Amino acid sequence: MKPLNLITGETVGILLFFIGLYGLMTKKTIVKTIMSMSIMQAGIYLFYITINYSPDTVPPIGQSREAAFADPVPSALMITAIVIGIGVTAIGLTMFMHYKQQHGITHWSRNRNQQGSEH
Amino acid sequence: MLGIFVLAPILMGALTVIFQKKSLTPLIYMFQAAYIAFSFYIFFLVKENGPQVWNVGGYQDGLSMSLYADSLSIFMVLMTAVFYMAFLVFAKNAEYFEAKFQFLYLVLQGLMMGLFLTSDLFNIFIFLEVSTVVVSILIMYNKEKQAIYDGMIYFFVNVIGTSFLLLGIGMLYRTFGLLDIRFLSEAMHLLESPSAVFLPYALMMVTVSLKTAVTPLFSWLPKAHGTPSAPPVVSAVLSGLYIKSGVYLFIRFSQMFLPVIDMHVFFFWIGFLTAVVGFVMALGQHDIKLILAYHTVSQVGLIMMGVNMASEIAFWGAVYHIFSHAIFKSTLFLTAGIIYEEYGTRNVYRIRGLFKRMPWVAVATALAILGITGAPFFNGSISKYMIAHGSHDYGVTLMLNLINLGTSMSFVKYATMLFGPSPKEGKAKTDLWATVAAMAMGFTSLLTGLFAEGLTEFLFNFEVHVVVEEYVQKGFVYVLMLIAGIAFYNGIIKHGGLITRIGHIELTFNGIITSMVGYLIVLIAFLSLVL
Repeated sequence: MKPLNLITGETVGILLFFIGLYGLMTKKTIVKTIMSMSIMQAGIYLFYITINYSPDTVPPIGQSREAAFADPVPSALMITAIVIGIGVTAIGLTMFMHYKQQHGITHWSRNRNQQGSEH
Repeated sequence: MLGIFVLAPILMGALTVIFQKKSLTPLIYMFQAAYIAFSFYIFFLVKENGPQVWNVGGYQDGLSMSLYADSLSIFMVLMTAVFYMAFLVFAKNAEYFEAKFQFLYLVLQGLMMGLFLTSDLFNIFIFLEVSTVVVSILIMYNKEKQAIYDGMIYFFVNVIGTSFLLLGIGMLYRTFGLLDIRFLSEAMHLLESPSAVFLPYALMMVTVSLKTAVTPLFSWLPKAHGTPSAPPVVSAVLSGLYIKSGVYLFIRFSQMFLPVIDMHVFFFWIGFLTAVVGFVMALGQHDIKLILAYHTVSQVGLIMMGVNMASEIAFWGAVYHIFSHAIFKSTLFLTAGIIYEEYGTRNVYRIRGLFKRMPWVAVATALAILGITGAPFFNGSISKYMIAHGSHDYGVTLMLNLINLGTSMSFVKYATMLFGPSPKEGKAKTDLWATVAAMAMGFTSLLTGLFAEGLTEFLFNFEVHVVVEEYVQKGFVYVLMLIAGIAFYNGIIKHGGLITRIGHIELTFNGIITSMVGYLIVLIAFLSLVL
């Protein structure tokens, strides 16, 4: 196998997923958490849209059948997942912005504030 | 037909937001009553005619998205619908019970029904993702600083956890070209070697374990369920019902992979560890909500043990424990809500004299405590009895007794709230609806214990016969446990020290994600070494 064949959407997708995960494990800034999350999700999208794909297929649109149809399901799933991903990122950013404006905190804290049990 | 389960609460919630009228509230109760009636109708349909399938758009089964109701899922649906009624009644006069809250609360009900009914993997992902959003908004509903922080942790951890599931589903789809759980389970037989599904299995199990909150991954749960300012009904629904969707998905996924991967030993030990860690952490807490939240971890561990014993009676015992735990844990959270509202503190050492101050609330609390510790005639005792029957191994009995001892110890601490001198004279004024709902749930804890034999047959078509002599013996063991619990409480727990320090250990956000990755690695290593 030539080394170039290794660089497919699937491998790159999985790699991106774990790069995002690395960011989540190591970065304490909340904004970087949100960015890493997006990278992770981008990896998943890339993985999905390349599975079950072979080069000589056509999109399943119209009636003509010159070649085999490509599998439309992963792309259809990913449209939904991308929409959800946008929503989730937006909600995450909203929460973060509110939190920062109200309390001025941008990092994940070390310990949970135990004030709740003491008053 | 089954689609109504998901759609109806969401539409009802939308109505409350559109009209924004307080006068619409009675309509919610009427709706919920009709919804329960409909659940019973489908329940009897499943009981008589076997599993029901509803395909979206009328496409061929297996190709379309489908909702699927068998005896387990319809039981979960029925349970959720009935308990939601109690929660709605509890919240009737509460300040936070406004249109926006009602909308989110009802939508959450629809999403949970979707999780229980759907047979399509991608829909499971969607329901998990949307319910994460709804739950995190409900947690931070009062916009208090701590609540927002807890809600954010909950939100990010769960969104990241669900991406594991999505990647796992992609890998399964790549191998099988299927998304339907029932058909995937049949297709598993065609695999030549199980190693083809190791990675998707491990990825999906990480998500499910995160949702179930087993040992290394439970750090988000006490934060989310024990948030100080979250309304009591939110804590009750999270701890009583929503956490069970994780256990339910675990059962579904393990059944799906069962032809090729059988990991029940691994998850049995994970369950045991979770149960022990849960009560050890609970012993060190002062905050009554946190005590209850850590006990959810412990009880879920017990349920995981029952599910993974590879015996039928223990499995149904675990399912019955899902039911019992939903009853007593939501009662405890609801009454805890009334209690800290009245006393103005959540510190378990400062609240005293509940029987004098709020007798009815105290009775409900006492009933629920007897339920969770497994007192004779209460529902907890029956489900623990069934789980204990799953194995004849002496070691397993010891393990179960250890967990019971832990539960007794920390609920002895919890029960000290009931007695002692009341700080103020006279009785406190409590909201009638809230008290009635809590009382009803508390008595259900007793009733479902008394009529357990008939109920298990009615709900699961599973006959269980409680041997009287053995049950009496368990009763004696219970009394011994209680005495030991009181002794431990007075000897060790009251003085704090090491136990308090253990109770306050917690993972940071990065720590939670790292433990998730560690869990994934352990799962893959276990799969490739042992299987």
